[in-house]
Amino acid sequence: MAEKSVYEHLKSEGVSRREFLKACGVLVGAMGMNKLPPVADSNLPPHLARGAKVIYQVAEALENKPRVPVIWLEFQDCAGCSEALTRSQSPTLVDLVLKQISIEYHETLTAAAGHQTEANKQAIMEQYRGQYLLVVEGSIPLGADGAYCTVGGRSAEDILREAADGAAAIIATGNCAAFGGLPMANPNPTDAKGVMDILTDKTVVNIPGCPAIPEATTGTIAHFLVFGTLPELDDLNRPKTFYGVTVHDRCLRRPFYEAGKFAKSFDDEGAKKGWCLYKLGCKGPTTYNACASIKWDGGTSFPIQSGHPCLGCSEPGFWDGGGFYQGQSAPLQRPAIGAVGAATAVGVVVGAGMAAANKAQKKG
Amino acid sequence: MQAETAINLFVKKTGGWVASQLEACTRCGLCATACHYYEATGKPEFAPVWKVELLRRAYEQRFTLVGKAKVAMGIEKPISDDDIKEWSVYDFHGCSMCNKCSFVCPMGIDIASLIGAVRAGITAAGEAPAGLVKKTEVQLATGSPNGATREDYAAWFARTSKEMGKELPVDKKGAHTLLLLTNLEIAGFPNNLVAIAKILDAAKIDWTLSLEARDAFNMGTIIGNGKAMKQLADKVYNTAVDLGVKRVLVSCCGHGYTTLRDKLPNVMGKPLPFEVQHIAELMGVLVRDGKIKLQEGYFANGHTYTFHDSCKIQRAGGIMDEPRLVLRQLAGDSFHEMLPNRKEAICCGGGGGLRAIPEAYDIRMAAFGLKVDQIKKAGADTVVTTCSNCRLQFKEGFEHYKLDTQVTGLAELMSQAIVE
Amino acid sequence: MDWNAFLAFTRGPLFYASLLIFIAGMVYRLVQVAMLGWDKDQSVARGSKAGGVVKSFLKGILILPFIPWIKGAFQKRPIMYIAGGLFHLGLFTVIFLGTPHMLVWKSLLGFGWPTLALPFVDWLAVAAIIGMLVLIVYRRTDAVLRLLSGPAEYLNWLFVFLPMISGYIMTHHLFFRYEVAYSLHMLSVDWMLIWIPFSRISHFMFYFFSRTIRGVEWGKRAVTP
Repeated sequence: MAEKSVYEHLKSEGVSRREFLKACGVLVGAMGMNKLPPVADSNLPPHLARGAKVIYQVAEALENKPRVPVIWLEFQDCAGCSEALTRSQSPTLVDLVLKQISIEYHETLTAAAGHQTEANKQAIMEQYRGQYLLVVEGSIPLGADGAYCTVGGRSAEDILREAADGAAAIIATGNCAAFGGLPMANPNPTDAKGVMDILTDKTVVNIPGCPAIPEATTGTIAHFLVFGTLPELDDLNRPKTFYGVTVHDRCLRRPFYEAGKFAKSFDDEGAKKGWCLYKLGCKGPTTYNACASIKWDGGTSFPIQSGHPCLGCSEPGFWDGGGFYQGQSAPLQRPAIGAVGAATAVGVVVGAGMAAANKAQKKG
Repeated sequence: MQAETAINLFVKKTGGWVASQLEACTRCGLCATACHYYEATGKPEFAPVWKVELLRRAYEQRFTLVGKAKVAMGIEKPISDDDIKEWSVYDFHGCSMCNKCSFVCPMGIDIASLIGAVRAGITAAGEAPAGLVKKTEVQLATGSPNGATREDYAAWFARTSKEMGKELPVDKKGAHTLLLLTNLEIAGFPNNLVAIAKILDAAKIDWTLSLEARDAFNMGTIIGNGKAMKQLADKVYNTAVDLGVKRVLVSCCGHGYTTLRDKLPNVMGKPLPFEVQHIAELMGVLVRDGKIKLQEGYFANGHTYTFHDSCKIQRAGGIMDEPRLVLRQLAGDSFHEMLPNRKEAICCGGGGGLRAIPEAYDIRMAAFGLKVDQIKKAGADTVVTTCSNCRLQFKEGFEHYKLDTQVTGLAELMSQAIVE
Repeated sequence: MDWNAFLAFTRGPLFYASLLIFIAGMVYRLVQVAMLGWDKDQSVARGSKAGGVVKSFLKGILILPFIPWIKGAFQKRPIMYIAGGLFHLGLFTVIFLGTPHMLVWKSLLGFGWPTLALPFVDWLAVAAIIGMLVLIVYRRTDAVLRLLSGPAEYLNWLFVFLPMISGYIMTHHLFFRYEVAYSLHMLSVDWMLIWIPFSRISHFMFYFFSRTIRGVEWGKRAVTP
């Protein structure tokens, strides 16, 4: 079933050539691939020709390349990233990636269950060894020998290592899979880890977020489909296309930040006027994600636009990065009264000691 | 070990009062702008903060962790004997303890008092200028820094009595006011006694002179020798208590006045049983309260007058309005103010014992140059002062600069204009 | 290098430790001086000591910093007065009336207050930075200041300048990524907090001593301090 090219498959599903090219355009946009070299033989000016040419390039790739099987593993997750994908309002793109790229194994989406599914997974892994794409959702617990998360009696780590062994590329979607996410938050009872902390010898593409932006996940997968390579990554292995700038940089409320106009509570005049949410704990300035540009639900909105500060969900350890509603400049911990008291006591004791010694000197 | 002696004294002097002010210093160097010796010489070492440097080093090195660490790391050296010699120049030759710097200090540090502590340390280490040491010894022996004895004073009193045609009261028990003179008047302007006697008589004050407590001058204060200071001030204290006076009136000595008023009670550890007042204040009070009537405009006679605010009487004493009240009555519009004046006035350059240090002659005359400029700008031909030391500095200074500007005392002017 | 992780370190444990060292150090300095013994003044006052203290602070905090030219010494070093004044004005405005810093106080003290608009705070921050640059030039060129300045003075300048310049860079997203600039800002702030108790930057505490002493001493003499 994976022998047909993507286009052939789409055609058999009743997708017209026009719709196919449109989908390719969406992909191009999503992948940020407007930076390919301009085309000399076009009569259009380069800046116009460029975009059009890329679409054809993508279309060509999708027309000719065979479909790629995907194995989607879920560990300590909430399936939120999968949910986000399936409920995405970019149907063409998601259809393209989710349905048309054959997802061979996905616990939440697969109709079959039990040993049958596991056996199917084994078969695919063997048949497409070195060719399939591995997507991981959820963190991997190492505590109690992995007993906190098992599938079919095998630990998450075991399953992951096995699947990673024959994968052509590995994508960790969501903050849990990328950086450990919520399961890893203090005190991290299951000793949860992100994928890249376990597969230290492999390149893992991280698509963090809570959930990951569907377009970021699909766009990255599409990149692999089209070019057969992984997109350019930042130092946290996130595709630069989606994680190159901060939410703050692209935020529609940024002018209010610059002007020093802040909402001070969620129902004040500033909040109603759409002023900056920095004082309400927005983590936008340190959060690298595409929320502010791609947005959610087909570009409808994103948290800051709808009045909620950014939580910084695409950054490692965001759950422990200070209160969500506490301004980002605030220190992460407020010293306990006891600690302040102890410091004061140390000061008093040393100071009084010095003063006493000095007074003795005065007499001597 | 000279340095050791000095440091021990610094340590003794450093309580919370000194330490907190040393800690407050930010080393901004603005105090230099206030110092007339720095202005006159341009020597950065004459910046007031640098004069306190020894005290700061002693405090930090002996009292604080940072100071100890600095010495251990070699960033700062302990105070050496050479340092003491060096700072003797800065603190004695280059400082009249006028305390103008404290008005410039953004932190409001009482710099002159700190310099006083440094002086004390240097004196204890035996590096005070020879001239001052000599004068201190002479005053301890004879009662006056210039060696004027009991007999000299007695002769002066007798001479003045004869001049005035009436016997001046001497050591009169139960008198209300004890008038304290200085040796400077004997030497420089003995007529001051006549003037003050006239004023006190006109105000019908029951006053007396004393042959015991003769001299308000206190070399102990100037040189920073606590023992000598107490010994000399004690003489005044004991005499005042013996005579049972209610008030000690200082005729014209600046530091003598502040020593008795501010320092003596703290040396005694209790408030004094008598009031200490300076004649400059009394004159103003008498005129203001109508006890003495002056012939208005008596000196509006073509001369132009200006008033010199001396450091101890006006700035440190707070007696700034009273002499002006008198001078306005006497001279009217021919009284011109120098700028800056009152508490921001520049020192004459001769205070703090500088007149007794021959080596400091050039420095103090250079500093006096600033005063000359001010006087010229004020357009005055006569400078009125209430301080005997300033008066002598002006006299010397005018000679040095070859000016025919005159200097006189306020009491002498006032005594001439009293309406009987 | 994971700068967000480093940022979490500088904002978290390092700041925490620095703050405690700062508190312990400042208390040490305060107690060390306060318990050194104070002599009771036995002399008779001509004027009101309490009144002198009030005037001393009014002048020191409200008048002189804002209209320094009424001071005679101003004419001799106007640039230094203005530079020093702008530095302190900018510093206090940024620290207390800048929104991000108010949030720091809020998280530490439990209550906040209204802040000024960023552009206004920003200009004062620029003024403070320029003021600092002028002051360091002054310190290097003026004979008195050169004499007074040892390693400690230059380090004090540097350790105050670093938080200011890194804060400015961070606010304006210049040169570095935000979390890098933020980390450097926090790192310099943390270090400054540790450094303050062992340096003359602590003058802000002793200012209250010296101004009070001044008020008492000159109020006693009936001279405006």
